[in-house]
Amino acid sequence: MTDILEVTDLHVAVEGTEILKGVDLTLQQGEVHALMGPNGSGKSTMSYAIAGHPHYEVTSGDILWNGESILGLDADERAKLGIFLAFQYPVAIPGVSFANFLRAAVSSVRGYKERARAEAGGGNKVIGSELMPMREFRQELLAKMDRFDVDRTFARRYLNDGFSGGEKKRGEVLQMAMLEPKIAILDESDSGLDIDALRIVSEGINKLVADGMGALLITHYQRILNYVKPDKVSVFYQGRIVKTGGPEIAHMLDERGYAWVEEELAQALA
Amino acid sequence: MTVQTQVFNTISGAAVQATSERFQEPEWLRLARAAAWENFEATPWPSYKEETWRRTRLTGFKLQQFPLAISEAAGSTRRQDLPAEYLSTLNQIDSAGALVFEDGRLIYAELNSEFRDKGVVFTDLRTALQTHDELVRAHFSALVPARENKFAALHYALWQNGTFLYVPKHVVVEKPFQVLVHLSAGKAAMHHTLALADENSEMTLVEDFTGAVDGMSDTVAEITPMAASRVHYLRLQNLDNTAWNFATMRTAAQRDSLYRQLQASWGSRLSKVWIDLEMEGPGSHGELLGLYFPQGRQHIDHHTNQNHKCERATSDLLFKGALNDRSRSVYQGIIRVWPGAQKTDAYQKNDNLILSAGARADSIPGLEIEADDVRCTHGATSAKVQDEYLFYLMARGLDRKTAKRMIVQGFFQEVLNRVPVPGVRTKLELEIARRVGLE
Ligand SMILES: Nc1ncnc2c1ncn2[C@@H]1O[C@H](COP(=O)(O)OP(=O)(O)O)[C@@H](O)[C@H]1O
Ligand SMILES: [Mg+2]
Repeated sequence: MTDILEVTDLHVAVEGTEILKGVDLTLQQGEVHALMGPNGSGKSTMSYAIAGHPHYEVTSGDILWNGESILGLDADERAKLGIFLAFQYPVAIPGVSFANFLRAAVSSVRGYKERARAEAGGGNKVIGSELMPMREFRQELLAKMDRFDVDRTFARRYLNDGFSGGEKKRGEVLQMAMLEPKIAILDESDSGLDIDALRIVSEGINKLVADGMGALLITHYQRILNYVKPDKVSVFYQGRIVKTGGPEIAHMLDERGYAWVEEELAQALA
Repeated sequence: MTVQTQVFNTISGAAVQATSERFQEPEWLRLARAAAWENFEATPWPSYKEETWRRTRLTGFKLQQFPLAISEAAGSTRRQDLPAEYLSTLNQIDSAGALVFEDGRLIYAELNSEFRDKGVVFTDLRTALQTHDELVRAHFSALVPARENKFAALHYALWQNGTFLYVPKHVVVEKPFQVLVHLSAGKAAMHHTLALADENSEMTLVEDFTGAVDGMSDTVAEITPMAASRVHYLRLQNLDNTAWNFATMRTAAQRDSLYRQLQASWGSRLSKVWIDLEMEGPGSHGELLGLYFPQGRQHIDHHTNQNHKCERATSDLLFKGALNDRSRSVYQGIIRVWPGAQKTDAYQKNDNLILSAGARADSIPGLEIEADDVRCTHGATSAKVQDEYLFYLMARGLDRKTAKRMIVQGFFQEVLNRVPVPGVRTKLELEIARRVGLE
């Protein structure tokens, strides 16, 4: 079965101000959809709303997972469905090691907790039984660190604490690889990367897409699209998607900038 | 009950004398007790006008309501006959020796014979008074005088027993010495800790305080790391949440010594804890670590002092606390650098994590510097668990509770990483996990 995420006429307000003004979007597994738009147009707001950030209030419209609304679900429940958000600005959490955190996250998403509960039958729970076995987890983590070109020292470091911009983005890709989402929203995973890091991050995304992940690739620049080939490109402008087409749109934007979009919009309104 | 027993278990001048008589104490100790009692009576009750008491009120505390916990003769038990909870605590640590006290009565003692043969003394203070009279007399009350504060005066007037640890010159004991102090309900108890690390020796002392339901604990600890010694002192205050807790501690670090102390303040309804670190010898290094995690209406007050009296000493303090419900913490700390204490390097940091809108943490750092070639840094932070942190973890599939627990545990990690005894570290982690679970 192919999982599908649909956003329909989505309006989102932050602290009383409407930021998203009717977004429509469909994304399915195996598909790459690039979303380009100027700073402040609401791309991150949309990402947060899909991931379930409580500060982002959906005032109308819907977010559907295989046809069912997920607006009532908390962020963790959405993650368990298979939705992943690679953050534009991942936060640093001192004292929490990357490996411990990831083991807890993977265990939760893969249902170890529910299984442990069912096995315990409501009785005494064994400490650690809600987690993926350490050895298995380590093996998989090390294999994926190698496959996704992430340094093995990441495991012991505190989550994003003291990470460079590039390390943070690579950390997000590693998390994504471990959590194996059905649909990932990559919020500017390419910004601030040098060419080597960009290549590594792009290859990571390509591998996961090849494995069946759907990706919403939010970006400012056409640059990453040289590495990750989108099926569709949309232009995001002032809180909505104003144009959708093929890769040629990205080239137009690159050549003519967002002024082109503004002109087109003005013409359409005239 | 005879009239006499009723007298010596009240907090009174008669009890002071009765205690001396009961234990047939030497003259110097009788005099010290009597003087301490005088001092206690002459010292006014704490008032909010004193800086150290400004934020900690003893409302509802009635000293006279507590009968004194009086220690009877030492009764020795075999390890396997100890109550299960003591045994499980003892088993958490691979130790070089252990003492178990109940209301000042030593009920169990063990010491690895290898260290006994090397001259290590690890016993209760009562026994040490008999066997090592001179050593006790030379050091008892030498660091913390009775006039230190009203509770220290009370302690010296009425103390019953305590920990005595002496490690001779050049003797290195890597495994910790472990002490359990259990206090029964509703009483006043005064445990004294006297630890001496002779030149170039090494010791680790772990003291665990439990019990005192609706009771009161009034302790004094005096720790002396002599020249080039290495001393770790870990104090785990696990008293019941209804206990009143007062503690006065001082460490005098001699030349080239290394000292590290951990104060974990988990229990008590109210704690007033003074921790003084005296840097007395050049080349010495001292660290003070603190943990607290009050809940309900617990009130935890730490007052620290990093006192640099000599040149070329370094000190480093890190106190971290998370606060739940309507709890309150006070941290007051001062770094004092005496004239001539050049090349001092002193650091002090207090971080608070506020987990509930009703909780409050006060942090009052201070510096008094009278030398010019020094480096002193201090800082305090107070923050809530940020929604952005929670959202990040939840977006990875962790439920809210697990996410919050991780963040709080992460917050304490900086201190836990520096706890030198793995068994204690595990125990602290469990206590933190337990407290995060309570919401
Ligand atoms: N948490 C917030 N509080 C207030 N305003 C916000 C918040 N998040 C986003 N905004 C506002 O919403 C608009 C869209 O921001 P954002 O979604 O970050 O855009 P983009 O990701 O496209 O650059 C901006 O005007 C921004 O100032
Ligand atoms: Mg953005």
